[in-house]
Amino acid sequence: MARTLTLMRELVAMFIRTKAEYPGAMVLGWVSQFASYGAMYTAIALIVTRFGMLGGWTWSDMALLLSVHLLTYSLGASFSFTQFREMEDLVRQGTMDAILVKPVSTWVYMVFSGLNIGYAGHIVLALGLMAWALTAVDIVWSLPAMLFFMAALLSGATVVCCLMTMIGATALVWVRSRHLYSIFFGFWELARYPVTIFPVPIQFLLITLAPLGFISSVPVAVLLGKPVPLLGDWAGPACLLAGPVMVLIAMAHWRWCLRNYQGAGG
Amino acid sequence: MRAAAYSAFTVNALQARLAYRHTIWAGAFGDLVFIFARIAIWVSIYGAATSTAMFAGVTLPEMITYSLLAGPLLYWDYSRLLGEVDTAVRSGDVAVYLLKPLHYPAYLLASHLGHFLFELVAITLPVALIIGLVFGLLPPASLFHGLAFLAYWPLSFMLLFALATLLGLAAFWLMTAQSIDWFFNAIMTLLSGGLVPLWFFPGWLAAFAGHLPFAWISYYPAAVYLGKLDPAQTLLYFALGLGWLAALLLSLAWLWSRARHRLILQGG
Repeated sequence: MARTLTLMRELVAMFIRTKAEYPGAMVLGWVSQFASYGAMYTAIALIVTRFGMLGGWTWSDMALLLSVHLLTYSLGASFSFTQFREMEDLVRQGTMDAILVKPVSTWVYMVFSGLNIGYAGHIVLALGLMAWALTAVDIVWSLPAMLFFMAALLSGATVVCCLMTMIGATALVWVRSRHLYSIFFGFWELARYPVTIFPVPIQFLLITLAPLGFISSVPVAVLLGKPVPLLGDWAGPACLLAGPVMVLIAMAHWRWCLRNYQGAGG
Repeated sequence: MRAAAYSAFTVNALQARLAYRHTIWAGAFGDLVFIFARIAIWVSIYGAATSTAMFAGVTLPEMITYSLLAGPLLYWDYSRLLGEVDTAVRSGDVAVYLLKPLHYPAYLLASHLGHFLFELVAITLPVALIIGLVFGLLPPASLFHGLAFLAYWPLSFMLLFALATLLGLAAFWLMTAQSIDWFFNAIMTLLSGGLVPLWFFPGWLAAFAGHLPFAWISYYPAAVYLGKLDPAQTLLYFALGLGWLAALLLSLAWLWSRARHRLILQGG
């Protein structure tokens, strides 16, 4: 265990050093992503302020939703997105075979050798927006509410990490899996808005097959005391369970894909 | 190289995309979910009002049609183009294009026309059909507006191509186009009208955005289709769009002439 922890620290340090070799590009990347998300939120703010509300959510409610959406996504994706997006190339080129024979867990090696510090811009924007939104929304804070908020953020980030791991792992069997991220980001886009504005089938998908509702709209609705369709009073516990349940599913999928990997490169 | 020969690159790009047919359904599903989110916003906003409610002179069926036109139909995947230029410059592959008797920006245009046609036929039109069956889509406001939209569409494509290629060529100086992609995405999100039409903008912002080339990519073509511009305005704004296109193509020709002499090969 101690050896694995040392290795994880070394892999992360090595990756950060490679990125820090080009500090200008790194900072430019952060600023550009900050600008891109800022523009999207400005566009949503234009709609909500123009019409007063969106599905019963005011702009401050929406700002909290957007900040939670971005924070859980960036935390989860920093451990998974760029790493597992490349997986189909590793499989196709045969590089995956070399990773599989390393004397370390394949998942640990992949995640920590590419831990993406490029999400710093996302996290700064999310925390800034969240800090403002929390002063503007009407939440009665208590110790259980604070603990729920922290645990829901962690659970949401875990959901993102698990889904991205599963998509990447699919390349071990299908060779190509990058196109599945189009579906992920489709639902991710939906999770940016209150789940109540969608028709029932989409609401169902957002809390079951593509559980991205748990990264933002469901936990924020629970905190704000807004109704959560289909889940009702179970919404709070479901937010906390979503992450651990997805870990179990992702582990099973990962192992199944590894067992069925036959290689594709030469 | 003769202009007609470039059509081979268009066909080649089409064939390359057809080789991975299983990616079509994922792309279509992603686009469908994406457009569903956009439409759900407007249904939610208008839903609280009566079915004939109008905001800024626009009805819900018009907004649903606008979402499809200004979104998937006109707003094609320019990130692929930026990514291609970025990779070619960073890997050094761009040198191979310089050795060939072709004009690199013209090659990019021909190639990405192929990608555009593939996505239009395989993804966008099926998505439009599904959206039409589920929500209903409006026909053009008149025959004139329908024909005008058909003229605005290639103008929109060419403007987005020219802007994306101009930014892609910046990789010759910056050695990366990824950050530029994000910056451009920010500008397009706010100023093209792809998400929020300019008629819902505050007056000062609408006036500002309405004079920048980005508005000709999504907002003006969709507004013309819906009849929000009268014939005189339609022709005037089309001429202004052509002016922007000429300016951007001239800038592109100038930048390419500079970029060729700026090339530093990173790859082997």
